[in-house]
Amino acid sequence: MRPALSLRNGIPVTISVPIVVVLLMVFVSVGASQLVLSRLSSSQERQLRDLANAYLDGLEAVLVGPVLRQDSWEVFDTLDRARNAYAAIRPVETTVTDADGIVLASSEPRLAPIGTHLDPADSVDPAGSGVTLVEDRHEAILDRALAVEGRIVGRIHSRLDISPLLAERREVLWFLIASNATLTLILAALGWFTVRRMVAPMNVLLEHVGKAAAGAVEPIPASRINRQGREWARLFRQFNRMADAVSEREMLLTRVADEERLASLGKLASSVAHEINNPLGGILNAVDTIKVHGDDPKVRSSAIELVDRGLRGMRDVVRSILATYKEDRESRDLLPADLNDLLVLIRPEVRRKQIVLNWSNRLPPRTAVNAFGVRQVALNLLLNGCRATPNGGALSFLAKVTPSALEIEVSDAGPGLPSHVAEFLSNDEPSTSGVVSSGLGLWVTKRIVKELGGAVAAGKSPHGGARFHVVIPVVLEVEREVQRVA
Amino acid sequence: MQQHPDRRIALAYGAAAALSLVLPASAEEDPIRFALTPVFLTSDLDLLDHLKAYLEKAMERSVQLITRRTYQEITALLVSAQVDGAWLCGFPFIEHKAQLELVAVPIWRGKPLYQSYLITSRDRQAEEIGDLAGDIHAFSDPDSNSGYLVTAAYLAALKTTPDRFFRQTIFTYGHFNVVRAVASGLAQSGSVDGYVYEVLRETNPELVAATRVVRASDWFGFPPIASPVAASGSPRVSAIKAALLGMHMDPRGQEVLARLRLDRFDRESPELFASIEANRNLVRSIS
Repeated sequence: MRPALSLRNGIPVTISVPIVVVLLMVFVSVGASQLVLSRLSSSQERQLRDLANAYLDGLEAVLVGPVLRQDSWEVFDTLDRARNAYAAIRPVETTVTDADGIVLASSEPRLAPIGTHLDPADSVDPAGSGVTLVEDRHEAILDRALAVEGRIVGRIHSRLDISPLLAERREVLWFLIASNATLTLILAALGWFTVRRMVAPMNVLLEHVGKAAAGAVEPIPASRINRQGREWARLFRQFNRMADAVSEREMLLTRVADEERLASLGKLASSVAHEINNPLGGILNAVDTIKVHGDDPKVRSSAIELVDRGLRGMRDVVRSILATYKEDRESRDLLPADLNDLLVLIRPEVRRKQIVLNWSNRLPPRTAVNAFGVRQVALNLLLNGCRATPNGGALSFLAKVTPSALEIEVSDAGPGLPSHVAEFLSNDEPSTSGVVSSGLGLWVTKRIVKELGGAVAAGKSPHGGARFHVVIPVVLEVEREVQRVA
Repeated sequence: MQQHPDRRIALAYGAAAALSLVLPASAEEDPIRFALTPVFLTSDLDLLDHLKAYLEKAMERSVQLITRRTYQEITALLVSAQVDGAWLCGFPFIEHKAQLELVAVPIWRGKPLYQSYLITSRDRQAEEIGDLAGDIHAFSDPDSNSGYLVTAAYLAALKTTPDRFFRQTIFTYGHFNVVRAVASGLAQSGSVDGYVYEVLRETNPELVAATRVVRASDWFGFPPIASPVAASGSPRVSAIKAALLGMHMDPRGQEVLARLRLDRFDRESPELFASIEANRNLVRSIS
């Protein structure tokens, strides 16, 4: 799966940033809407107050006379005409009382008949500004004292219908909600799109770094680099330079592994030379014997027999070395002889150190694993065992095949493995640190086993030293077919 | 029915200007001054324009129409001879009959007579005046026969007065306003000119529909046109008389009469208003 850039909580940045945008927008728009609405209501109220006061001023000017005369008809006539003249402020009901609160006339005489006392519950805020908004009743209540020469002679009490104001407020509220929601959605989409674009190169980098960590260092293709901005393109090029360096190192390590085969030959050289030199001495003696006593058929045939045996021994050694170190090896199945050959290579060392070798080769005639790789691994482990085992110590070799894998076990009587080496062997991470900690031999062994798809485990040997257990899976027929076709 | 007042006024000024150009300069420079009580629809400026136009044409001289809020003001103008003639109510006519001369009386539905109506709101259960006791009652004018005297006389016959019988009385200074007061609920009942009420039935059917007639009175002499006794026989009064009596024979006059819902103007005897005088005396005897 492609790794996606995310914040600490695991939500991808492409989602979390738009969410933050939405939350921020909601926060801002709620605040802004609140501000707009409160400004709207205060401006509406101011406007209403102005209009209401104009209405009351107009009534007051006309009504003082009729109120003084207690002329109910004049008061009513004035209110009735004002209803049309001031239709814009939608007076619902206007009632005029005398100084004692007795109704002189109302624009709605049936609600407030002449001579009745005005319900004090309707007289709101007589000392205040004279305009009170009662929003749940959709009304504004006006109250104005009619004064002549500093004496109150009556009161104008009026109710205005403010439902259009409230409807306008509601309309504005809905408009704000709708526009803010739309804006929020657009910004969230924009945020998602932008962040997606922004993190796209980051994801490319993550993908490649992830692959590199898994061992497959791949440079970022040039087409992808060219699509990015300058900064990202620079970063990508830096990554590619790093990728190149890593690939180069990997190549060098492969070369080192190859060279190591020759290095182990070097280690064997003196003993191998000895192995060839010994029969060579016998052969030269036999040739001298033939020169001197060649006429004697008994002596001659025994000398030739000696030469023959010596040359065959030498041929075995040479063949075994060639088998191990031949370049351009073709892949082929493992035969029991492939492992037995190794005996020839380690025999000089075994003999020199008088090691008690316990050899057990239980391979079937043919095993479907890479013969050369297995030989190299087995040889490395045997040489490592020989080196570790003290003079006269024991060394065991066991090779067998289970239905799914080839198993090789080498146990020595050496001092055992330091724990960090054992850890390095069982650790799956590709690393070069093992070269230093375990020595080149074991490092190369692990590398080859891994190439063959197997694993090495280190433990304690019954001889008191180290024990290496290698498991290499057997290649199935189908896989082999595929490999061949490929 | 209703027209924009500004336009009507503009038309009136226009008409007046046109007439002043056409009319020959009169020996007597002063225009004829004619006063009107709010017996009919004073709010109808259009009607006043037509009346003025007709009178000016019929008399061939300029006319000034004078309206006041109360009957009393009109009566005072007439008695003091500040106007040449006035359309007033039968009640002030009999009150000042010594100083006034009857010029003409309108004929409505074939007779020089009209009634007073006691009205209340449409949905109210009231069959006679007794059911209206304790009401807030709307009168038209204290000097109106149909809008005050008829009801007061009826109560006087019951040995009571409007102030005692009703909880409160209000004067609206217009029959139209009585109907408005009753229709709106400001007053529970009212005394109104039957002629005006019948005209309103046609012109303001919705307003009238909110009310109903409890009782229609006997027939009384229709509000007459009078002039000061002092000016009796003067050319100005004669001109007014001729213009009124000939109104139904002139197309413009016919239009004015049609608006007023009247047949014509006729000569009548002051005796026509004797029943009003009897009512006046009855009311005085009680108070």
